[in-house]
Amino acid sequence: MEPSNTPLLDELEEGQWPSFVAQLKQAAEKSPAAADLLRQVERSYADNTGHWKRGGIVGVRGYGGGVVGRYSSLPEEFPGVKEFHTMRINEPAGFFYTTEKLRQLCDVWDQYGSGLLNLHGSTGDIILLGTTTENLQPCFDALTEVGFDLGGSGSALRTISCCVGQARCEYACIDTMDITYDLTMHFQSDIHRPSFPYKFKIKCSGCPNDCAAASARSDLAIIGVWRDAIQVDPQAVRQYVADGLNIIDQVVRRCPTWAVEWDAQTQELKINDADCTHCMHCINQMPKALRVGKQQGATLLVGGKAPVVKGAQIGSVLVPFIEMQPPYTEFKELLVKIIDWWAENGKNRERIGELIDRLGMAAFLQAIGRQPCAQMVNAPRANPYLFWKSEEVQQNG
Amino acid sequence: MEIRELGGKQLELDEDGFIQDPAAWDEAVAAALAKTEGVDEMSEKHWKLVNYLRNYYLQFQMAPMIRKLCKETGFKLNEVYELFPSGPAKGACKVAGLPKPTGCV
Amino acid sequence: MAKNDIGPPNYRDMLPPIVRENYGRWRQHTIPQPGVLCHTSESGAVLTSVRVASPRLVSTDWVRQICALADQFCDGHIRFTTRHNVEFLVSEPAKVEPLLERLEAAGLMVGGVGNAISNVVHTQGWIHCKSAVTDASGLVKAVMDELHPYFTGKRDVPARLRVAVACCVNMCGACHCSDIAIVGIHRTVPRINHDMVSKSCEIPSTVASCPTGAVRPNPKLKSIDIVAEKCMYCGNCAAVCPAIDIMDPVNDGVSIWVGGKISNARTAPKFSRLAIPFLPNRPPRWPEVVEAVKNLVEVWRGNAKPGERMGEWIDRIGWERFFKLTGIPFTDKHIDDFTHATTTFRSTTQFRF
Repeated sequence: MEPSNTPLLDELEEGQWPSFVAQLKQAAEKSPAAADLLRQVERSYADNTGHWKRGGIVGVRGYGGGVVGRYSSLPEEFPGVKEFHTMRINEPAGFFYTTEKLRQLCDVWDQYGSGLLNLHGSTGDIILLGTTTENLQPCFDALTEVGFDLGGSGSALRTISCCVGQARCEYACIDTMDITYDLTMHFQSDIHRPSFPYKFKIKCSGCPNDCAAASARSDLAIIGVWRDAIQVDPQAVRQYVADGLNIIDQVVRRCPTWAVEWDAQTQELKINDADCTHCMHCINQMPKALRVGKQQGATLLVGGKAPVVKGAQIGSVLVPFIEMQPPYTEFKELLVKIIDWWAENGKNRERIGELIDRLGMAAFLQAIGRQPCAQMVNAPRANPYLFWKSEEVQQNG
Repeated sequence: MEIRELGGKQLELDEDGFIQDPAAWDEAVAAALAKTEGVDEMSEKHWKLVNYLRNYYLQFQMAPMIRKLCKETGFKLNEVYELFPSGPAKGACKVAGLPKPTGCV
Repeated sequence: MAKNDIGPPNYRDMLPPIVRENYGRWRQHTIPQPGVLCHTSESGAVLTSVRVASPRLVSTDWVRQICALADQFCDGHIRFTTRHNVEFLVSEPAKVEPLLERLEAAGLMVGGVGNAISNVVHTQGWIHCKSAVTDASGLVKAVMDELHPYFTGKRDVPARLRVAVACCVNMCGACHCSDIAIVGIHRTVPRINHDMVSKSCEIPSTVASCPTGAVRPNPKLKSIDIVAEKCMYCGNCAAVCPAIDIMDPVNDGVSIWVGGKISNARTAPKFSRLAIPFLPNRPPRWPEVVEAVKNLVEVWRGNAKPGERMGEWIDRIGWERFFKLTGIPFTDKHIDDFTHATTTFRSTTQFRF
């Protein structure tokens, strides 16, 4: 038997967890590009460094993004990955597929690319890993034939993603998948033709459990909430207790606002809805007995981002409650105002959260026409240095 | 790096086809670069855009943000794509001889 | 000829019939066994979802293999989760057991539901990223080869545990809000190719990219300089200017962060905080990293109350006790000195000795 030329990566074929090396090898049987990727990655494992050049700007006609250019820094050694560009393909909302649709995608990718892909990338796209400059346009043409389109890259509206929502979750207060699809279709040009100061991400979660990680990972987070009472099925609560749930330890004591009471004598659960901050804990513990309320909408949070450039931020409350019914006109108008203010005032590579930090939340709210409200802050300011506008004070001399 | 003849000059190009020496740029080079981006004939509008980019770069040593470009040239974003199908960054900046705009982080 | 701006496939055409019929009408769910969710609709319909780990980086043949199973058991429909798991959606209860058997025979791992370690969200690493300090896929594989019993439910954990891996401090992939995050880091000042800067970099953009003002123009060389004392190795300048190189295979390494969360359940979302500032970058198995992550999971598991996530547990016991229990040394590196540093300083006499 020939000795393996990837001894280091071979070690990662062992073990129980599914192996990406096995995937690389499988693709390498058909694709010279995948075979050279395998060899280049082995080289990285040997010398502890990556072997991709920086930069790279390639694309398809009519679009300014959606493809990330990638070139090997060792093209003589690994000619198959000399050009190894990524195509970001906008996923169907909620990551649902028919097998027919996935097979069509695979057929196109086997023809024009390395046969390797990510399901999915961090932002939500299907990531097709590795094709040549020459193949980009024909691959894109073939993808559109089977109903796929590129997602966002660069200083654009990035591909929108969401949790499973009402397709399979009783917690969903908003139709995350319809919102995602509607916004994606409405803002196609902003996804495909970058024109912002930097990237802009929108993610949509159906409830405050935030399975789409919207508040941490999107510039504008849409998170489903309710603003009336939690719906209680008393009989089902008793059943949980009868089945062994320690309702005092697991539910009552863990309510962050002491809004839940349990009367062991009468076997009655009481929720003081005025104190409830709809954190989801009690509902998560007893999904058969407790349901989200009936007055449903979304909270919008603004400014979430990873560390580049000035540090990570978690989004902060911009709109405590907004109705989210198609065609989502109020939301879309607000989004356009946000983008316009940012585009007008933002520096190159400045995310909306950093711009708000630089120019102040008050200036931002005024520009987009929103009133401040107490839900926006953990606490009011402690410092006494307030800004007053000239029209707020009397003229004196 | 690759050496190619463009507009009567031997020029060094990177793998994306951007010229490596911004000082070597002239109108003949621009017209030749335009052909590599699917623009066979540089119209007055093409020149207006390219000259704006070029002058902005000479003044500020960087490419303008897209919205600024649209505002100051009067072209709408879709018109920019009609002129340069590969877009302002890959298309127009390349033809204007600018350093490659840095893409996604 | 390409059609532009057609957008993604309409999700409505992708839904299994049972989902289409019961859309918005789901009433409740149970977790009958690890890796399996059972949802009941107002209509009485019951949908069983079987969750399977994926390596995220997959071949088209693997996708076809998954599709063949979905054809047989799920009427030709399949979905993926936000954490890269595959979900088989079964509408006929009689098909669940045979599916589970087939998955086991095919070596596909079922798990990641409820109180468990779910699949690891991670970045491209050496597979495809130009700024990768380390290999994300390899780290995930090495760590999960140890931790998979917590995915499959063979070993239990007090609460959900979300692990993320980022191959550099850009932290693509929610690392900044994960229970445990593994992040590649630099520790040395970038080197500058002055010749190349003048040709291929936008100098003002490069200067502006530095969050600490360490990058300055050098008009004489038509280049830039970096003030070493101000540099904190974030790599932003290198991201903007290809003539700047920050890769240093000898000194680059891996850091570990803990206690972040995204869900609003009980407590607000919170950032992951630094636990271990540096571990060597040692592929293919990263033994120090695997050991460190295992230790964190074990200590949390042994000390947290039921339902308490990593960060909630640390909040209760205090960071001083966290460092004691985990045996991780607290160093100068743990005290923040960047944008929001003062918000992390303790201003009370309430702490433990």
